[in-house]
Amino acid sequence: MTWVRGGGLTTLLFLLPLLFAFGAFSWYPIVRTVIMSLQHTNLVQPATWVGFKNFEQVWHDPLFPIAVKNTAYFAGLALLFGYPVPLVAAVLMSEVRKRRGIYSALAYLPVVIPPVVAVLLWKVFYDASSAGAFNTVLGWIHLGPYPWLQSQQWAMPSLVLESTWANAGATVIIYLAALTSVQTELYEAASVDGAGIVRKVWHITLPQLRGVLLVTMILQIIGTAQVFLEPYLFTSGGPANATLTVLLLIFNYAFGNSLGGDYGAATALSLMLAGFLAVFSLVYLRATRSWSTR
Amino acid sequence: MKSLRRIATAVGLAGLVAAIASAAAVGSTKSVTISVASLIPGSTQAAVDQFNARVAEFEKANPTIKVKPVDYQWTAPTFAAKLAGGTLPTVFEVPFTDARTLGDNGQLADLTPYVKKLPYFSKYNPAVLAEGTDAKGQIIALPKGAYAQALHYNRSLFKEAGLDPNKPPTTWAQLRADAKAIAAKTGKTGYAEMAKDDNTAGWILTTVVYSLGGRMEAGTGTSAKATLDNPKTIQALNLLKAMRWTDNSMGSNFSYSWGDINQAFAAGSIGMYISGSDVYTNLVQASNINPSIYGLSTIPLAKSKTAGVLGGGTEVGVRPDANAAAKAAAVKWIDFFYESPLVSKAQAIANAKTLVANKQPVGVPALPLFNKQQYDLANTWIKPFINVPLNQMKPFLTGIFGEPVIPEPEASTQSVYHSLDAVVEAVLTNKNTNVVQMLQQANSTAQAAIQQGT
Amino acid sequence: MTDGEGSTGLISTAEWHKRSVRWGIGGLQALLLAALVVGGLGPILWLAKGAITPTIDTITHPMGLFEHGTAWSNLKEAWSTVHVGLYFWNTVVIAFGSWASQLLVATTGGFALSVLQPRYAKVINALLLTTLFVPAVVLLVPLYIEIVHPPLIHHSLIDSYWAVWLPAGASAFNVVLVKRFFDNLPREIFEAARIDGAGPFRLFRSIVLPMSKPILGVVSIFAVLASWKDFLWPLLVLTNPNEQPLSVRLPSIQAQTSLGVFLAAMFIACLVPIAGFLVFQRSFLRGGGLGGALKG
Repeated sequence: MTWVRGGGLTTLLFLLPLLFAFGAFSWYPIVRTVIMSLQHTNLVQPATWVGFKNFEQVWHDPLFPIAVKNTAYFAGLALLFGYPVPLVAAVLMSEVRKRRGIYSALAYLPVVIPPVVAVLLWKVFYDASSAGAFNTVLGWIHLGPYPWLQSQQWAMPSLVLESTWANAGATVIIYLAALTSVQTELYEAASVDGAGIVRKVWHITLPQLRGVLLVTMILQIIGTAQVFLEPYLFTSGGPANATLTVLLLIFNYAFGNSLGGDYGAATALSLMLAGFLAVFSLVYLRATRSWSTR
Repeated sequence: MKSLRRIATAVGLAGLVAAIASAAAVGSTKSVTISVASLIPGSTQAAVDQFNARVAEFEKANPTIKVKPVDYQWTAPTFAAKLAGGTLPTVFEVPFTDARTLGDNGQLADLTPYVKKLPYFSKYNPAVLAEGTDAKGQIIALPKGAYAQALHYNRSLFKEAGLDPNKPPTTWAQLRADAKAIAAKTGKTGYAEMAKDDNTAGWILTTVVYSLGGRMEAGTGTSAKATLDNPKTIQALNLLKAMRWTDNSMGSNFSYSWGDINQAFAAGSIGMYISGSDVYTNLVQASNINPSIYGLSTIPLAKSKTAGVLGGGTEVGVRPDANAAAKAAAVKWIDFFYESPLVSKAQAIANAKTLVANKQPVGVPALPLFNKQQYDLANTWIKPFINVPLNQMKPFLTGIFGEPVIPEPEASTQSVYHSLDAVVEAVLTNKNTNVVQMLQQANSTAQAAIQQGT
Repeated sequence: MTDGEGSTGLISTAEWHKRSVRWGIGGLQALLLAALVVGGLGPILWLAKGAITPTIDTITHPMGLFEHGTAWSNLKEAWSTVHVGLYFWNTVVIAFGSWASQLLVATTGGFALSVLQPRYAKVINALLLTTLFVPAVVLLVPLYIEIVHPPLIHHSLIDSYWAVWLPAGASAFNVVLVKRFFDNLPREIFEAARIDGAGPFRLFRSIVLPMSKPILGVVSIFAVLASWKDFLWPLLVLTNPNEQPLSVRLPSIQAQTSLGVFLAAMFIACLVPIAGFLVFQRSFLRGGGLGGALKG
């Protein structure tokens, strides 16, 4: 029994893949990010220490506030479209008595489509001429044609629309699983007390779901704060930087210059984003703990 | 005495052996392998076959050199990745804009001794050769091809709009009017311009500004001064604004990149656009264009002493870590594949034959890498093989040699273009763009990049 | 409780008997179903239609239906001329390697942490948990540089599939998921096996792994799906077009491909995920709920 709760070579052997994978490709890079953010590196000459210069450079880059604003805009719109709608859908679906599977399957289908395909497909839909797919359909009810991705005002909402389509299904399924775990007795008791459907949802369903709702919200915010694919493939950050997000700016710092990247600025901005998300999460958890433990 | 003599004999013998050994080494034929940039991935099988046929011819003539073709396409982000990752082929291509800086940064091999031995070295157009010469005067790249910006127009759309397809616009006012006519009478885009964030928007805007007589930089190197916000740029942007918002002749797509605009043009949705004079090759290879719709003309030039046509091109360079044998082999390949069809009748005909056999375009207009006589001479060699509609390109061919060709802004070219991208996009997507303010911002961004040498 | 049949009881049987509820809620549900069909299924059906429609028809009449007949040749051209077949195969190879890598790390690591429980397990668990909360963006640049200049090998891993397979294994989510599952396995079986003289390797191979099929199924599905959808990382480390997977290649060939053929290529790229989803629906949807439950 010496090989349990001890250490031993066997345990180490079992842990080797994990230690190698994480050590080399997770923990070491995290440390390197911190180091590189304080250096000037161009891969040809040896790196030099520059202190906080990279952070200052990023802070003073005119594109930085634009990227932050756009990312917040994307995250905010995504919350607006993508947070309540799946909840309503899940509540309706949880009460479907026959063939609920079809609802779930249809809702989740866009999630399994590879994101690149989804974006490229919607790019075709968003063709701004009057013969574009969406403009044609809207033309049937005498609306449009709209510029979609070709307008600074419309570009970001267009991105959020596609992103919601591609991701809401996953949220629906999560809510559904949580909803079906609510104890039936609670509803029965409320019904006996004369509560209608709306009151039951407000006083039982939502509070019971509080944990899941709060976690989904913070996860969605953290996820959308790192949005890259949609701005990169739809508009390359355009038009005129209207869809430039923080991740896209990091990418441009590191990989956008054909003569070599500014890895110091890229890692500095990565750390700034990570730091912001960490602080935000802490504040969020603090603020919502009082809700959860009421 | 005896021991000394023995030592001397031993040393003498050793020296003799060493001499014989080195003589033997010089005399031995060691084979060297180089990897070379071949075609854009996704090229047709016919194009690939043509390339491989040329490789076979080269290897036959040079039995000690083995050539390995590698699919290759230069785009800003993928090149940076390959450069960082060390996965570039031995022989690779970069645009004029980057060659000198890469050379200055030690990322291209010094080819001067090998290049000077080429028989036609003295015939190079000095402006073109300068593009591949770094700050220390070393030749770090040879030109593959040079182009001038040109106006591509759709002859059938011209006809449909009631315009004469043999009389493309020669002034900007005419271009604007023609675009308006095309948009009104055919419903297609009259004039389209690249407007994507990948430096192509800035590239075309610079082209238009050059044709009005403006310049984006004064001086060279890291002490150059950015002059993006000069009056000609403002004029160019206001012209775009008018065509876009007043005439509504620029269609509804304002995110065209180099490949997209070619594709849309070949599909017949664009009346006129500006790009390099050599894009006909791409129109044929990637988009299957119907040759009868294609027209090529010069960009309208304003009546100004400084008005000119932006010229660019592609350089061929060698990895800095290539050893002497590889560098010599690389220069031999560059000579055979890129340069000799322009200077040797036999090679020109051989190259043209394989191109035609594989249905690739022959005779697409380009700028001379050597002098004009050589260019004309080379064209007579391949005349029987030309399969592009040269008569539809007459306005360009007759006009271009009388126009001054201006090199692209020398310092931090790609960064200068990049800072202009957002301005072009803003003008085309927002009616109320404050052009002057945006240009000033772009200018300071460009100036910062120039000072840093990025 | 799965999302199969049976409701949560939010609406009691008595309420269902009321006509207003039946019509109201029922109506909303019907509306939802319609929205799901049009919104969820619609774009995919359009893609399928576009894949076999001539380009010119798709461009001029995107909402038309085979006005000039079909163009099955789009699919053939996409597969061979545009080499979608090659990129499809690349995607499969990459997915397989990433899957193997993830499974290896998660099972061996989870087993060690959950069953063998060395004294330093607490440290590793803490590290894993913190890794879980570090956003992926933080790793991007240094991981890339590490692939370009690996510390010991001195030979760039760019353009090698190992650059994708190896980092894939470092998924803290997988390890935590598997470890939790192992935690819930009945300890009595382990005791019995140990008494029978089984060593850790026997225990792992013959007892734990066979009992873990459900969680391994979920991890596998998500591993393959994540690999199929992966874009930014393969874009950075696989610069040779002949090695790139579909997600990386599709955007690059758009300008060289006519729309009909391009849509056909996109459709082919969807086939495996959609087919996999239809076959393994249960695991997908259970896994989705699990993910939520875990994070909750």
